[in-house]
Amino acid sequence: MPEYTKLTAELRTEFGKGAARRIRRADKVPAVIYGHGAAPLHVTLPGHETMLALKQSNALLQIVVDGKEQLALAKDVQRDVIRRFIEHVDFVTVKKGEKVNVEIAVHIEGEAAPDTLVNVDLQEIELAVDATNIPERIVVSVEGLGVGARILAGDLALPAGAELLTDPEYLVVGISQTISEEALEAELEEAEAEAGIEHEEPEAEAEGDEKPAEGDEKPAEGDES
Amino acid sequence: MLIPRRVKHRKQHHPGRSGAAKGGTTIAFGDYGIQALEPAYVTNRQIESARIAMTRYIKRGGKVWINIYPDRPLTKKPAETRMGSGKGSPEWWIANVKPGRVMFELSGVSEEVAREAMRLAIHKLPMKCRFIQREGGEN
Repeated sequence: MPEYTKLTAELRTEFGKGAARRIRRADKVPAVIYGHGAAPLHVTLPGHETMLALKQSNALLQIVVDGKEQLALAKDVQRDVIRRFIEHVDFVTVKKGEKVNVEIAVHIEGEAAPDTLVNVDLQEIELAVDATNIPERIVVSVEGLGVGARILAGDLALPAGAELLTDPEYLVVGISQTISEEALEAELEEAEAEAGIEHEEPEAEAEGDEKPAEGDEKPAEGDES
Repeated sequence: MLIPRRVKHRKQHHPGRSGAAKGGTTIAFGDYGIQALEPAYVTNRQIESARIAMTRYIKRGGKVWINIYPDRPLTKKPAETRMGSGKGSPEWWIANVKPGRVMFELSGVSEEVAREAMRLAIHKLPMKCRFIQREGGEN
């Protein structure tokens, strides 16, 4: 039987942003547990342990509330956009053997043919899988694939018992030709000319130091109408 | 350079600078990104300059996404003119970027190359930024 990370939660009695901020200041995380038609449970989790437990996506945890253990899947994790600490977690209760809908990351392996670019159009696919057997990622091999090769969602090798919920016709990976060196250089030069970016040239810089800079930016003065 | 083709109002008020980004705070398309840590007005020239710096470094290897668009005009009065007589003429196009916003994304290159390319690009931008990468469990 697999071991799940165990978190001990305390029931919350006060709600709202003031209470939530007090909880966060005490290095704890406000969370909610719901599912299976039961009334939602508002709880407080220990901050550091929760952060470690939620390092992986679709983490399945054993949460102890009032001495009662329940399996819960992290459904939504809200983080601070700058400091990345966890602000709130939504857990959905699951049972062993139950199927849950989860988004699994697509991981690319291997090297495509030379002079090609691997475009991952779909970073995550939606699967219905056994709650106790959620894969960490779906590996897609692009080894040796040439220009024009496409891998659709329906082509992916899924773990046993998993059902694909994403449209099987959806493009997951496409291989395209890289831009030629000349075309890239031409495009960059054109862009630089348009943006007025000049490359430093040692001789030119030494010759014309101070004079041309002055009169350049002035013609805007007569613009007013 | 990025410039709106048509606008409803030629001159606008300065956009607000307070608060954090409401969305676009995670990597959506690529594997690596540049995230703003401070609010700033990013001009279309700065966006283009950062893109060129990144593209020059990664050469033909990767793909660059620009997630911000300079759709706000800023005006300027000519030098040495008296105050009054209406608002100045449009001078810059800017994107109003708030902390947390992922401005550029990159894929198809190794982490080392992406870090260096984005370091070069960050130097072209007017605010403090950081390099971020796609991770499991972040969303």
